Amino acid sequence: MLKIYKRLWQVNWAEQWQYRANMLMYSLYGLVSPIVYLAVWTTIANSQGSVNGLTANDFITYYMTLLIVDQITSDITIHILAYKIQDGTLAGDLLRPVHPILTSTLVYNVASKALFFTVLLPAWIILALIFHPNYGAVTPGSLLLAVPALLVGFAVNFLLGATITCLAFWTTRVYAISEFFSALVVMFSGQFVPLQLMPRLIQDIAQFLPFQLFKYVPIEIVLNRLTPGELVRDFASGAAWLVICLLLFSWTWREGVKRFTAVGA
Amino acid sequence: MQTLRLLAALFKVNVQMTLAYRTDTVVNILLNLFWLGWELLGLNIIFNNTSSLGGWGLGELVALLGVFHLVNALMAALIWPNTEQFNTSVRDGTLDYTLLKPVNSMFLVTFSRMVIWRVWDLFLGTALIIVGIHISGGSIHLVSLFSFILLTGTGSVILYSLWIVMIAATFWFVKFDNNVTILQALLDTGRYPATVYPAWLRLIVTFVVPIAVATTVPLQALRGDLTLPQVLLFAGISVACFLAAVRIWKAGVRHYSGASS
Repeated sequence: MLKIYKRLWQVNWAEQWQYRANMLMYSLYGLVSPIVYLAVWTTIANSQGSVNGLTANDFITYYMTLLIVDQITSDITIHILAYKIQDGTLAGDLLRPVHPILTSTLVYNVASKALFFTVLLPAWIILALIFHPNYGAVTPGSLLLAVPALLVGFAVNFLLGATITCLAFWTTRVYAISEFFSALVVMFSGQFVPLQLMPRLIQDIAQFLPFQLFKYVPIEIVLNRLTPGELVRDFASGAAWLVICLLLFSWTWREGVKRFTAVGA
Repeated sequence: MQTLRLLAALFKVNVQMTLAYRTDTVVNILLNLFWLGWELLGLNIIFNNTSSLGGWGLGELVALLGVFHLVNALMAALIWPNTEQFNTSVRDGTLDYTLLKPVNSMFLVTFSRMVIWRVWDLFLGTALIIVGIHISGGSIHLVSLFSFILLTGTGSVILYSLWIVMIAATFWFVKFDNNVTILQALLDTGRYPATVYPAWLRLIVTFVVPIAVATTVPLQALRGDLTLPQVLLFAGISVACFLAAVRIWKAGVRHYSGASS
């Protein structure tokens, strides 16, 4: 099994390395929105000292960390798999004796992250030189705790993305559903603004949703802003969502493949 | 006259293509409304925590969002779909058929695809502008209103000219599928006044990829921040950009040797 993953990695990496120029351009997308919000919120924080207890530096470190966390936990399964169900080419993948989503789709995801980082890191360093984030609150312990949080964030995002992709077995087209999903992510993950600035109601809802695991929770862990109680709660919620998403995905995949008729292929 | 008839014909073809996917249109408009709700919620959160963003009030930001919707409608209805069409036609050589037609090729490349439901965004944008002006209360000077409308138009012309140059670059570098990515990536900066951005980003969105010229600048005119010479300068720049784009396009077409033959 390990050999399969190793070979898949080589193939995917080589395949994507050809498109590194495209990658460079696409990485711009991820950079722009955090920088815009960083500018908006630091302007406000600077004009009145702080926003709800958050200083300009708190916003700078938040969004600078978001740039990295977002890349680690993001998932592109819908973009690389949905069309295969739509046009029936998934049939070829199904003939192989390994699970297509848990092998090649997963490796593709990880390889594209690795490639993204070759662009992101230099860009991040330049931005750090511009914005001077003060990472005084970060400790080795907080970084270490962030590792499992990031893994859980990616796993949950990947499994949810894969589940939504599998809905294509029933509906053929899933782009509307996936856009609705990304709207929810923007709203509840802390992409737009640190969740503590959201209206009370949205914060309470976000507590019960998996989306904050993608961005807000790992960022706050890195920045050492959570109390031990909050840490326990967030890790428990992460574990619960991991189990739920695993069950959800394995069920939709099993039932979906049964219905698959390979239209068009 | 012939141009208008052609435009009407292209419009009809695209409406027919839209009608083939009626559910999609409804779903798209619903999603669009959903995003609007989210955008307004975002503004609401900002103004729950502050009374002004770099000197701009809530009403002004709502109006800015309206202008952004207008620009976004131009992009989503014409620019993005026609870029895709154009890039494909350069790669597989079908651009030859466009160039052979006895019509201005720039016109055909601009209007061959139209995403009809995006017309909706024009209404939405206009409504947001009216609501925004209403919220900010203060009476608007007629000159300001007029320069606002003028600058929204000229800003769009500048962005359109930039687009023509970007896709014309494909004539020289055939494998240039990313010709508009930078425009797409930076478009979101139009949601907020460029005056809050750090200087380097403000320079980029004003001079390199002038999104702010089509979003922030018209709003500045509406606020009465611009003098008449400045307004006329922007109008002049847009004419110059358009003329330059036409020349570059023509040079590109002359340079193009076709991919199929």
